[in-house]
Amino acid sequence: MVAKKKCFFGIKTDRQVDGDKISQKFMDKVIAEGGENAAIASCMQCGTCSGGCTNIDRMDISPRKLILLLQRGEWETILKSNTLWLCTSCYTCTSRCPRGVRPADVIEAVKALAIREGIQNDSTRFNQIFVELVKKRGIVFEPELMHQYGGIEAMLEQAELGVKLALRGKLSPFPAKVKDSKIFNQALEKASEK
Amino acid sequence: MTYSYYPGCSLHSSAKEFDISTRMVMQELGIELEELEDWSCCGGSIAAGVSHEVGMALAARNVVLAQQKNRDLLASCSGCYNKSAKAAKALENETERNKITPILSQMGMSVSDSNTKVRNVVDVLANDVDISSRIKKPLRGLKVACYYGCLLTRPQELTGWDSPVFPMSMDKLSEICGAEVVDFRSKTKCCGGPILVPQEKVAFELTKRLLDEAKSLGADCMVLACPLCANNLELRQPDIEKAYNVSYKLPILYITEIIGLALGIKPGKLGINKHVVSPKPVLAKLGF
Repeated sequence: MVAKKKCFFGIKTDRQVDGDKISQKFMDKVIAEGGENAAIASCMQCGTCSGGCTNIDRMDISPRKLILLLQRGEWETILKSNTLWLCTSCYTCTSRCPRGVRPADVIEAVKALAIREGIQNDSTRFNQIFVELVKKRGIVFEPELMHQYGGIEAMLEQAELGVKLALRGKLSPFPAKVKDSKIFNQALEKASEK
Repeated sequence: MTYSYYPGCSLHSSAKEFDISTRMVMQELGIELEELEDWSCCGGSIAAGVSHEVGMALAARNVVLAQQKNRDLLASCSGCYNKSAKAAKALENETERNKITPILSQMGMSVSDSNTKVRNVVDVLANDVDISSRIKKPLRGLKVACYYGCLLTRPQELTGWDSPVFPMSMDKLSEICGAEVVDFRSKTKCCGGPILVPQEKVAFELTKRLLDEAKSLGADCMVLACPLCANNLELRQPDIEKAYNVSYKLPILYITEIIGLALGIKPGKLGINKHVVSPKPVLAKLGF
C-alpha cells in the first residue's frame, strides 16, 4: 500500500465512508493498470482533492466523487464522465490528500482503461495521436501532430504562430528522431498490445 | 559537477531561449552540462494516460541513459522533470521495474543498479549554488510575478526541495537578482497545459486567470520554468487577448533569463530576442 500518511484513528481499507463493503473489482483493475500509486481504498471522502482542483467548476463528477464511484464499482458512470479529460494531472489533489490517496494517478490509470474500453472524444483522439507519434520517432514533430489531429484547418489556424516561431529559429522544418527508431518503435508497439 | 542534461522536445523548439539561457547560466556558475545522448520524449502528461507501461518506459529510457553515464539527470521542463523523477522512482520498485525493464531491453538497454537522481534546473540554482555574490547587474525596479505551475514542485515525494502548495524558490532567486517580487496568489494554479489542444477553451480560461492576476498586481513580467506553461501564457497570449477582447502584452521570461541578466550576461546571449511577446519593456526598464 502506498498510503504512508497516518492518521490517528487508523485507516480502514475495506469499507466505504457509509459503511458499505468496497467493491474490489474495478479498484483492482485500476491498480493493475497504474500500479500501487493508483490504490484508493483509504479514501475517507474528506473532499480535500476537490477543494484544491483547478478545473472542478467544469467537471460533472468531482475528483472526490470519482473515487467514491470507483469504490462502489460504478464503472460506467466513471467512463462517461468528463472529469477524466478535464484533469490536467497537476497533482494538487495528490499533494494535499491526508490519506495518501493519489487521485491524479488514479485518473491517469482510468484514462488509459477508458481508451481501451472504446471511449472516444477530442481528448482521447489527441492523446492517442500524440502517443503514436512519440512511438514513431521518439520525438514529436509538432506540425505533424497538428495535421493529424486537426487537419489542414488547424495548420492554417496556427500558421501565424508557426511563422513567428520559424523566424526565431524555434521551429525546425524537419522532424527529429532517436537513433534506432525502428527498434524503439517495435518495443513500444509490443508494450501497447496488452 | 557535471549533469546529463535532458532538454526535452520543447527546449529544442519552441522554448529555445530556455535552453540557451540555461546553458549560459550554468556555464557562468561552473556547472557542466552534457546533453544526454539520444534522448527521447518523456511522454509528458499524456502517454501514461494512454498506456501506463508505455509512459513509464518512455520516461525511464532517459533515466537509464543517464545511469549509463553515471551521472544525475538534469531536466529543465517541469513535465520532463516530473516524468523522469517518477520513472527513476519506479525503477527502484521491484514490481514497477519488472514492467519497465522488458520494454527497455527490447530497445537494447539494460537497467543497472546505479542510483541516478533526477534534478530540476530551479532546484539546482536555488539549492546548490549561491548566486548572491555573483550578481553584477541587479534588476532594480523590475516587478516580477513568479509562476510555478503544477509539476515543478509536485508531487512532493518526487521533488521535496520546495513546498508543493506554496513554493518560494523562484521568488527568492528573483529577489537575490534584485527584482521586486509581487504576491502572486495563483502561482501554483495549473495553466491547463496538457489539455490545451483538445480542450482549448478550458485551457484559455485557466491561463487567462493567471494573466489577469499578474497584470492586476502590476507585474512587468511573469517568470517561470516550464515550456508548456510558456506555450499557454506566451505563445497563445495573442489568441487569449483576441478571444476575450483584452490586452496583456505581458512578457513571459524564464527564470534562467532573469538570472542570466543579473549575472551580467548580455540579453542577446541569453536568447531573449527569441520571445514572441516582446520582452523589450522589461529590457528597457533595466536599461538595456
